[in-house]
Amino acid sequence: MTEPVVLPAVLDLRAAGALTSEFLARRGQPLTVDASGVERLGGLSLQVLLSAAKTWAADGMDLTVAPVSEAFVEQCRAFGAAALAPDFAGDPA
Amino acid sequence: MDTFEAIKATFFQECDELLADLETKLLDLESGAADDETINAVFRAVHSVKGGAGAFGLEALVRFAHVFETLLDELRAGRKPCDELTVRTLLRASDVLADHVAAAQGTGPEVEEARSAALVAELEVLTHGEGGSPAPDEAEDDFGFQPVAFDLPSLDLPSLDLPSPDAPGAPAAGGWRIVFRPHGRMYVNANETGLLLRELGRLGPLEVELDDSAVPMLDRLQPEENELVWTIRLTAPVDEAAVREVFDFVEGDCDLRIEPIAGEGPELPPLIETPDAPADDIDISALLAKVQDEPAAAVTPAAPATSAPAAAAPAASATAPTASSPPAAAAPATIRVDLERVDRLINVVGELVIQQAMLAQRVTESGLARSSGISVGLEDLELLTREIQDSVMAIRAQPVKSVFQRMPRLVREVAEMTGKRVRLVTEGEATEVDKTVVERLAEPITHMLRNAIDHGLETPEERTAAGKPSEGTVRLAALHRSGRIVIEISDDGRGINRERVRGIAVSKGLIAEDAALTDDEIDNLIFLPGFSTADAVSDISGRGVGMDVVRRSIQSLGGRISISSNPGKGSTFTLSLPLTLAVLDGMALGAAEQTLVAPLSAIVESLTPKAEDVHYVGGHDAVIRFREAFVPLVDVARTMGFRDAPVPPGQGVAVVVETESGARAALMVDAIHGQRQVVIKSLETNYQQVEGVAAATILGDGRVALILDVDALVANARRRPAAADLKLAS
Repeated sequence: MTEPVVLPAVLDLRAAGALTSEFLARRGQPLTVDASGVERLGGLSLQVLLSAAKTWAADGMDLTVAPVSEAFVEQCRAFGAAALAPDFAGDPA
Repeated sequence: MDTFEAIKATFFQECDELLADLETKLLDLESGAADDETINAVFRAVHSVKGGAGAFGLEALVRFAHVFETLLDELRAGRKPCDELTVRTLLRASDVLADHVAAAQGTGPEVEEARSAALVAELEVLTHGEGGSPAPDEAEDDFGFQPVAFDLPSLDLPSLDLPSPDAPGAPAAGGWRIVFRPHGRMYVNANETGLLLRELGRLGPLEVELDDSAVPMLDRLQPEENELVWTIRLTAPVDEAAVREVFDFVEGDCDLRIEPIAGEGPELPPLIETPDAPADDIDISALLAKVQDEPAAAVTPAAPATSAPAAAAPAASATAPTASSPPAAAAPATIRVDLERVDRLINVVGELVIQQAMLAQRVTESGLARSSGISVGLEDLELLTREIQDSVMAIRAQPVKSVFQRMPRLVREVAEMTGKRVRLVTEGEATEVDKTVVERLAEPITHMLRNAIDHGLETPEERTAAGKPSEGTVRLAALHRSGRIVIEISDDGRGINRERVRGIAVSKGLIAEDAALTDDEIDNLIFLPGFSTADAVSDISGRGVGMDVVRRSIQSLGGRISISSNPGKGSTFTLSLPLTLAVLDGMALGAAEQTLVAPLSAIVESLTPKAEDVHYVGGHDAVIRFREAFVPLVDVARTMGFRDAPVPPGQGVAVVVETESGARAALMVDAIHGQRQVVIKSLETNYQQVEGVAAATILGDGRVALILDVDALVANARRRPAAADLKLAS
């Protein structure tokens, strides 16, 4: 199993580019994304995560987002992207 | 990262504008000049500062702005009264917000925690009432959204109360469907979808649907472009304007569609799937709300269900923009330009002017007829050059507003320190002057305002005893007058105590005990170096700076300062400054083969004195009789060291000049060459400071000409205490 991608605390405009490269470098293998340290999720980084999820699904590879921080779940939900953090989906903060 | 730093720099520039706007609007609220839109504008300013700060992770700034904004939100919704106390607190909050911005930018000290916290507490008391607890969790995380409900249990009274009295657009019964696709640029401009969603969440319960179908695979993803589309159902009967307002700052940076849900619109958007939400309940209750609300709102806009406070009650909702027209569409088209580029342009244009003058001179020297094609073309070129120069100077012209708007805060602070009540009235803020002048105006104005409040105005008790309103008025005005900018600072205080001023001047040895001085002359004594006394130096206006320093800094700008005072009624300080420091209208003078330029503004008139008009005081100090008075005669060529012998009596021209302090002298030169506009070249930057010379310029023949510092020249030649003119009645 490969090392998880650890998301930084602040996922803003600046993080989106770096995140894209990091995911691309891991393509073709099952991946775990550690979102436990996320404090702030911005729209563009959210898009990178969604694109990664799409890409991994198309490749037939597993992509798991876990563990997740409460802030991450809350913000995913506010974005209407609760599916990104399924573990917390039924467990409102 | 360069781009990031650039964006951040832009954010701080915008902050400056937003803070200035914030203060202006708050002052409008204070003075009663506000309309319905004012509180919204105030909210937007704070909100934008917060939004940008959030994007850059400026936590302290975000936290403070958040509390500030929460109160403003209550005010604009009419849930809290916008009374005098509140406005005063808001003003102080805007000061602290500005300090937070300065601290974040690194241009100011860290904000004292206690001061910030104290104001936060005050704001929270105003927001939640005494002892009320702040809303949970909000302030902690700037992107921490309020948990917005997916089911709609909270569609009860609070949200029905929402139709905000400030926005007249038709409230949609079932709420609004908002289709929102941000452009990548929106994020670059430091806006964030998450914040917008949270703002929407403030209006009522949200259902957020995210369409990521257009998001490509990772290898084709442009991380700074956005493909996500949000469809948001806002189930609250709020006005469309209130919804649009949330998107005010991203307009142009996103695709946005806002439609009523309740089927009033002709068709539903074909693009969007109708979400299978339990919509029935909402529609009915919301429809009821609308039916109850609308007629009332239509007839008397001031009577929505909530107890509308007087200050926030919309006086004329008809003046507000129609709901469908997006606001801020008519913003003037401007670009930001690096100041260095403008300065370079100005320099180059200066060179062009010089070059053009040289060319003209050569043509004249070549003996071409005035009617020749070259001469005519050259005249056109001259006009064009002049026009270019004016246009370039206009680029650098700035309204004095940027200086004036710093003053209300100063006035508040000084008023607080002195325990006086002060109202600042500003006029002519749009008056334009060259940027270099604007920048150097702040300090003297600051000092004089402090002075006016500290020394000019009386305490409220003294004022009441004198039959004046307890609140003093300080007026700060700017206007153009005969090619110069005039700044007036007047107060309605006690006026100058001439007895005391005279006493101080005598005790300091500045004037003789028996000197006969007019009221005006006594008033002007306060500008003398060494006048500022220990007992006149207080915490506020003292700071070791006397009025002589203020006068000197004004004079270094080529300006002058004067005072007029009326005992018991107040004083007025008047500054008069050139509009620009880049060009000068001057008179070219010849002295010992040299050409010199005297500023036209200093010249009173010229005469050719006969030998018998010149008198000598004490054998060597020449004076000349001029309009019933004798003025010192300054032989320019000698003073400047061009030659040793004076201009022979009966030859030459005397140019009578008036110094900035009002003293007169006659400059003796060989000839007057004529009036011309010259480009000022600093002697200090290019060489070094020279006594009696203000700057230099390049003439049409390519020679350097010195621009005379009339004040220094006259003071030098007089070698007398700068008291009063020699007044020898004939």
